[in-house]
Amino acid sequence: MKPEPLLYGDRKVYTVSAFNRGVASWLERLPTLWVEGEVTELRRQRGWASVFFTLKDPGDGASLAVTMPRGTFESLKLELADGDRVQVFGRPELWEARGSFQLRALAIEPIGLGAVLANLERLKRKLAAEGLFAAERKRPLPVFPRRVGLLTGHDAAAKRDFLTAVAARFPAANVVVAETYVQGVQAPQALVLALAALCAEPEVDVVVISRGGGSFEDLLPFSDERVVRAVAACPVPVVSAVGHEQDVPLVDLVADARASTPTAAARLVVPDERELRERLEGLRVSLARETRRILERARIALERDGERLAASPALLLERKRAILDGLAGRLRTLSPSATLARGYAVVRGEGGIVRSAADVQAGARVDVELASGGFGARVEDVRP
Amino acid sequence: MSEELTFEQARKELEHIVAELESGRADLEQALALWERGEELYRLCLAKLDAAQGKVEELASRARAAKPEPG
Repeated sequence: MKPEPLLYGDRKVYTVSAFNRGVASWLERLPTLWVEGEVTELRRQRGWASVFFTLKDPGDGASLAVTMPRGTFESLKLELADGDRVQVFGRPELWEARGSFQLRALAIEPIGLGAVLANLERLKRKLAAEGLFAAERKRPLPVFPRRVGLLTGHDAAAKRDFLTAVAARFPAANVVVAETYVQGVQAPQALVLALAALCAEPEVDVVVISRGGGSFEDLLPFSDERVVRAVAACPVPVVSAVGHEQDVPLVDLVADARASTPTAAARLVVPDERELRERLEGLRVSLARETRRILERARIALERDGERLAASPALLLERKRAILDGLAGRLRTLSPSATLARGYAVVRGEGGIVRSAADVQAGARVDVELASGGFGARVEDVRP
Repeated sequence: MSEELTFEQARKELEHIVAELESGRADLEQALALWERGEELYRLCLAKLDAAQGKVEELASRARAAKPEPG
């Protein structure tokens, strides 16, 4: 039925009711189709003819009102809860009395594991293509963090395991714990905010995201795009210690390091104090040893120089004495006394030392010098 | 005023000094200066280890504040 306008001169004017009816009849021509989203604000009451909920887009939070006759809803025997992913088969319609747009559901199907996995796989490929999981993005963990941020669920076991391991390894460690929702529809946003709060704390040098295991569905918030991006954008390195068996949450891929348990994460983020002290003592021993070695080397060199210095006057004297000794030797060989000592005699005549028989004549007087004393003599005969 | 070294920075410098001494490049005067600096760093590291009192703080109030708005 086409709504009839009232005419005010040239102007066609519709009543609210007629307008709504018109839009509604136009919307009715749209086809029935499937819409996927997360169930929130599910409202059902005994007296009501319909069941209401809001279907929310997990990506950007866009929402759509959905309504279904109570009888149809109950016959589906769905155990729907806030946060469940569903696909709704329905038709867009206008609730004429209120002019509000909604989806009239004809069927609701919870998303099977297969569809969730396919979504996850798509997201994983998209983020990988952006390079969020690349090895080059991984930052080294600090060896000696001033403070360690722990992001955990209201999960006593994971927190206790982590703190126990930290205390055993490095009692001096400072830990800031942020507990938040790690499960359910509010978990991704809560995780993002808690991570930001931890990073805003001064001196937090590393953050550990921990969760003590859980089912595949329980771990889904750790694959949420918002959480993965927040971890990627975190100003300090992040260690993922989200317990898991075979399905790797995406936060594990984007984190700078991953640990299989909270205890293993503690080993990654704080040093072993005993090892640290041993290493420090080792360094000190090396320091002293190397310094001593250089000192010793310098001392030996110094001693050698000293000895050479001290030895130099003696050496000079020695050299002079040797020269002197040589001279004395040569002097001794030149002196006749040694020759005389062997029995030779020096004969002197009027013309000096007699070297030849021709230098004397028979009857001449000569003087004979011996090694010890001498005597005068007369020449008997001459043998030329 | 120079900023105080962190444990990590002090330990790295100490290791560097030991390596420098081990290389044998340092002469006596340098070696003594390095040793003095090394001892100082060693004492700094030790003091940091001894003085550090670990503590666990809860960001409980902020975690509550981090609760998302409904809707």
